[in-house]
Amino acid sequence: MEPLLEVNNLSVDYITMTGSVRAVDNVSFTINPEEILGLAGESGCGKSTIAYSLMRLHRPPALISEGEIKLGNTDVLKLSTEELRKFRWEEMSMVFQSAMNCLNPVVRLDKQFFEIFKYHGITTNRDEAFERSAELMKIVDIAPERLRDYPHQFSGGMRQRAIIAMALALNPKLLILDEPTTALDTVVQREILQKIYELKEKFKFSILFITHDLSLMMEFCDTVAVMYAGKIIEMAPSEQILYKPRHPYTYGLKNSFPSLKGDVQYMEGIPGSPVSLSMLPRGCRFQDRCFNVTGECRRYEPQGGADKHNFVCCHNQLKEGKVTE
Amino acid sequence: MARINECLTFMRQNMKLTIGLLLLLLVVFSCAAAPLLTSHNPVERIAGSHEAPSINHILGTTQLGRDVFAQTLYGGRTSIVVGVVAAFITLILAMVVGICAGYFGGVIDNLITTIINIVMVIPNIPLILVMASMLGKISPIYIGLIIGLTSWAWGARVIRSQTLSIRTREFVYAAETLGETRFRRLFFEVMPNMMSILSSLFVGTVIYAIMAEATLEFLGFGDPLSTTWGIMLFNAQNSAALRVGAWWELLGPCLGLVLLGAGLTLINFSIDEVSNPKLKVHKIMSNFYRMRKKGKV
Amino acid sequence: MKYFLQRFGFYLIAFFAAITINFFLPRMMPGDPVQSYIATLYSGGGNISADTVHAIEKLFGFVDQPLWKSYLNYIGSMFQGDWGVSLKYYPRPVLSVIMDYLPWTLFLVGTSVVISYIITTFLGIFAAWNRGGLFDSIVTITGQIVANIPAIVTALLLYMIFASQLKIFPSGYAYDSLLFPEYTWEFARSVLYHAVLPATAVILTSLGNIMVMRANMINQLGEDYIVMGWGKGVPDRKVMFSYGARNALLPLVTTFAMSMGYIFGGSIVVEMIFNYPGLGLLMFQSLAARDYPLIQGLLLLITVLVLSMNLLADILVYFLDPRLRKQGK
Repeated sequence: MEPLLEVNNLSVDYITMTGSVRAVDNVSFTINPEEILGLAGESGCGKSTIAYSLMRLHRPPALISEGEIKLGNTDVLKLSTEELRKFRWEEMSMVFQSAMNCLNPVVRLDKQFFEIFKYHGITTNRDEAFERSAELMKIVDIAPERLRDYPHQFSGGMRQRAIIAMALALNPKLLILDEPTTALDTVVQREILQKIYELKEKFKFSILFITHDLSLMMEFCDTVAVMYAGKIIEMAPSEQILYKPRHPYTYGLKNSFPSLKGDVQYMEGIPGSPVSLSMLPRGCRFQDRCFNVTGECRRYEPQGGADKHNFVCCHNQLKEGKVTE
Repeated sequence: MARINECLTFMRQNMKLTIGLLLLLLVVFSCAAAPLLTSHNPVERIAGSHEAPSINHILGTTQLGRDVFAQTLYGGRTSIVVGVVAAFITLILAMVVGICAGYFGGVIDNLITTIINIVMVIPNIPLILVMASMLGKISPIYIGLIIGLTSWAWGARVIRSQTLSIRTREFVYAAETLGETRFRRLFFEVMPNMMSILSSLFVGTVIYAIMAEATLEFLGFGDPLSTTWGIMLFNAQNSAALRVGAWWELLGPCLGLVLLGAGLTLINFSIDEVSNPKLKVHKIMSNFYRMRKKGKV
Repeated sequence: MKYFLQRFGFYLIAFFAAITINFFLPRMMPGDPVQSYIATLYSGGGNISADTVHAIEKLFGFVDQPLWKSYLNYIGSMFQGDWGVSLKYYPRPVLSVIMDYLPWTLFLVGTSVVISYIITTFLGIFAAWNRGGLFDSIVTITGQIVANIPAIVTALLLYMIFASQLKIFPSGYAYDSLLFPEYTWEFARSVLYHAVLPATAVILTSLGNIMVMRANMINQLGEDYIVMGWGKGVPDRKVMFSYGARNALLPLVTTFAMSMGYIFGGSIVVEMIFNYPGLGLLMFQSLAARDYPLIQGLLLLITVLVLSMNLLADILVYFLDPRLRKQGK
């Protein structure tokens, strides 16, 4: 199967006073059509940076210094400004982290929908645009009359749903969800994710789902990629990640989440704190926090292998997801 | 040798601060070292009226035959001192009002905020003019006092919001901590932030005070017997210097005010930058643009 | 509606504060304004009789009444439009004298404010958009330095260079003294021609607004909806204006209204130097002549003007920011 999205050797640097810091280091992965890929990791590991880079929405001082991003046949990094402008939202769209702040507070919702249709050449007729917007709103179960309201008149959950409707307005092939439910309560979380899943089945788009909530990810995603300090250290189908993690970090993450039901378990955290990107050690980045670390780890950085859809970067992978004595 | 290199690098990286300080020091030292730079007495009539600039009189003479350069230098002393004093008074008042409002909160805060808003909304300069007119011809120090008493509102507002944010953080930590040491450490961590606000407020007020003082004197409220930049402008205006073509009489005080103002403004710009290096956007951005030209996206 | 009442109430209180200050000012100043005025009259060769002294005392309000009664009378007469009688233009009432000069100041300050607002807003927007670039550095620093130069110096320099030396622009008055005020194109042209230098001076002193707009814009540009605007495929320009500037302007309207006091102060000096027949010039003349009723009347009027501009700004903000209307729902 031809992958929908192909990311090859992507590196993103942040320019600082004294030089640059590499926030995303040589990352490669693929997403298949109609697949839900989850991107997990601690805060600051680079997941959002990757998400923004896919549509080249990263802000200065972030720069994509190397790599290739291909959606179908389109090389995203080589698009001109105008081509990029059209590409955005038509082929790929994004639901941002805080729905609170994504909508222009002084413009009515119908106008914000109208802009999408106008600038992508769909229609410049206000009534037609309103009809289309109303349909979209119905998909996410919001009454079309609400289109005449301002963003602050919506509740948090409604705003999030409206933004999802907006993101699907042009039927993109890939929908990026950046922590879409962090600010919402669990009940609303579930409803929204349910709705997104239904929509995905209906309209057949792929999803890149970013979160730090592993348990949520396991349920919702087909494939999971785990990031640490700017690199993807393991990528596999979610079942495999859950039951047979290969990387010690994945193992640690999995065990940091208590389950809602069942007996009280013994919790293991991951000792230490995230490594600083400006002071990376030689060899594997995880070495100071790893329970499986050996001399080799401190000398050579582990590579992932050729399969960009299933790989792990570790010299001493776990067997059958268990820690060997 | 390495020390000099270090200094030069610092200066190059903080261009604004360097130029600002240079200008400031140029003006302040010239005025302080007035007797060294000119042999003329500023208030004595020593030459013909409205003589053009020459070797003897770098900036020419006034209508009364006084040396403009000497006047500028000696007059600058008073102008600067008055400006600084006025700024001090303003700052102290602003601090008292602002900290009280921010610290006590509640009803007191509401009351004080309303007062601040009212004072802010009533136009400053006309009020100063009216007060000055009722006092008659007053010496520069009193002018400084009046300016200080009327200009504190804006500073009070800034200090109040700063105090409010400090107060919230303090209480949060106070609730967390058991011992006093952390509390004190916080106090010394937080104060530096306040320092940068206070110092940029001070510099800004000095600028405003010097300018307001010159304006008042220009309009005739100063003591015509004293020598300050404002009085010089006043005399120049009264002797119709411009219409007679004696532009040099105005040049001295104007140059003084412009250079001093520019210097202080530049310093103000760099105060924030030096205390908060993250604001050194320009350096980061020029690095950024350079990298982007190399073909990065 | 509650919003309007609140704001109006505030300005009413401020107005009362101004009246009160006006009332107490002559009584609080050291020295006796009556005596110093009489001295001025005397040195000018006037005849001072006991009646004159009484009349002057009455004009100043120093009559044999309990203070609170004088105060109430004062407030009453203010609201009735009796702002006293001018001493210099005796016996013309203060209000009438002021009304002669008011239109020119409104014209000068009005046009300067509009032009300044437009220029500084655009400069601020572009500076923030290109933050850290060359345009930003130049505009921000030069703008702030020029703005910090006091109005006198700016006006004097403009006068020196353009009116006196280069003789490009006229050196004074609102219009050519050979013309009569009438609705002709020639007259209008002359008015505009004479307004260029004074207006430029006022505009230059208000350039501080660039920094304010720039700071607001920079705050806005950090918001998520800007990125979402780009993401949606909205063209750059449109995002800059509809998303960024539109939101950045809101607090700016109020700030600018607050700086009106500063602008009026500057315009006083500018009018003086250019002999422009507005309130500023009147103020200067009345200050020189120690015409206290007129001085106080002017202070009050300028305060009223500033307060009304602030109120207008608040009303404007209400219509521009839909979040304020939430209170109604």
